[in-house]
Amino acid sequence: MPHQIEELPALPVPRLEECPFGPPPEMAAFRERPGLTRVRCPTGITAWLVTRYQDVREVLGDSERFSSRPGQAAHVLAHMNPDLPIGEGEFTRMDGPEYQRFRRHFGPEIGMPKRLEELRPTVQRVVDERLDLMAAAGGTADFYADFAIPVTTTVIGGLLGVPYSDRKLFHDSAAAMFGSATSAGGLKAGTQPLFEYVHGLIRERRENPGEDAISRMIQRSAGAAEPFTDTELMRMSAGLLTSGWDTTATVMTHGLLALLSHPGELDRLRADPSLVPAAVEELARYFGGAPGLTREVVRDTDIGGHPVAKGDFVVLAVQAADRDPSAFEDPDRLDVGRPTDGHLGFGYGPHQCIGQQTARLELTVTLRTLLRRVPSLRLAVPLSDIRFKTGTPVYGPAALPVAWDAILPAEEGR
Amino acid sequence: MKVTIDADRCVASGMCAYSAPEVFDQSEEDGVVVLVQDSPSADQHEAVRTAARNCPAQVITLDQ
Ligand code: HEM
Ligand code: SF4
Repeated sequence: MPHQIEELPALPVPRLEECPFGPPPEMAAFRERPGLTRVRCPTGITAWLVTRYQDVREVLGDSERFSSRPGQAAHVLAHMNPDLPIGEGEFTRMDGPEYQRFRRHFGPEIGMPKRLEELRPTVQRVVDERLDLMAAAGGTADFYADFAIPVTTTVIGGLLGVPYSDRKLFHDSAAAMFGSATSAGGLKAGTQPLFEYVHGLIRERRENPGEDAISRMIQRSAGAAEPFTDTELMRMSAGLLTSGWDTTATVMTHGLLALLSHPGELDRLRADPSLVPAAVEELARYFGGAPGLTREVVRDTDIGGHPVAKGDFVVLAVQAADRDPSAFEDPDRLDVGRPTDGHLGFGYGPHQCIGQQTARLELTVTLRTLLRRVPSLRLAVPLSDIRFKTGTPVYGPAALPVAWDAILPAEEGR
Repeated sequence: MKVTIDADRCVASGMCAYSAPEVFDQSEEDGVVVLVQDSPSADQHEAVRTAARNCPAQVITLDQ
């Protein structure tokens, strides 16, 4: 019934030029309307739009009723075609025990508290080095290109033992993976060079293991109940490289823009730097869920009392859910001291972000160090001059021009 | 307070071990949750409640 489809409302997507900290203003109306609304997504699929906190949490938490099979952003990424069969090692689209096998293999490599503690001094060093470079270059910089991207790129490359000079491989794969209009062919062209490169690393490190996550995954695989194929190992490694830098760099940049535009909040952090971890959670709540997530209904059921049928798609407006007044008081207010427990910025359920602790570490070290070493940090242009990225659901500033009077030496900034 | 876990559901996210490290650990082998003590002392209750609420795979159950 094409006629009927025509009349469905369009899925609202963030329009940051208009509303720089999102979500699109229409989301509030969808949230207040009883039941669910069927919407037409930019990729052409139609889906139930879920906007309330309780409903979004329920769907994400129940993979027996709501499957990841369509691809986690099939509503906004053209190359995520729910009709395609799941490729070898394509864990992001798996559910249940099949998924768990992957998750338990690569999650601990980056997520265990012990690993994070080992990583902390590296992150501090990378942050300090970037600030030293900014100081040497002059009194202004683009925080996104000159700080956030190099820092997150260095950290994820370091975890997997990929040298900084090879970063173009995973920058290109991310541009393809997170490009809204990337075709199936474009995805293949954009990811193939990284995939081949990682295959090469796996062959090499099987012979000569190093201290990196890829080497450890190869070694642990040998002892696993069901050892992993090279393609599966490649998928996990390439997935981390592709998803592990622009996500965090974007929240870091968008977050800094938000703080610089809310000087009262920044003053609270200056006065009490022990609020930094809470501020990081608040930024994750505020911005983390902006792209939203897709799921497929596994069997006839309901969401918050509204019936949905097997095979229906569901779009979870995670950012709108994290701005639901029934879950967070005065939810649109940026408040670095608020309780944020249970926010959905890193998702929820089995697929919840595998890199969340890495992201938290990078954001925390960055904020703390900026407060100490660059107390005069400010926007170099008015907020209304900030341009935002287009053509990707990794929403955030395209550049963040910042200025300062002095960057204190790292030792003084400790 | 009595803590029980359904480790079959665990996706090794480690959220619990961050929230309440004295009560939850992770296996070296596959990151799956290990219950260090099932009757935590009162000073741990708040952290354990946080861990239970934030476990993404609803592995942790509390009797109070
Ligand atoms: C602030 C930064 C970040 C945000 C807001 C974020 C957000 C998310 C969200 C919402 C999901 C859930 C997808 C789903 O439910 O289907 C996810 C999954 C994922 N994230 Fe992150 N992420 C961030 C940083 C990172 C980092 C640093 C890494 C790598 C080290 C990473 C790697 C991944 C991977 C591999 C998945 C797929 C998990 C799966 O489906 O099995 N992310 N992320
Ligand atoms: S928080 Fe839940 S899923 Fe994560 S390690 Fe602990 S028990 Fe497992």
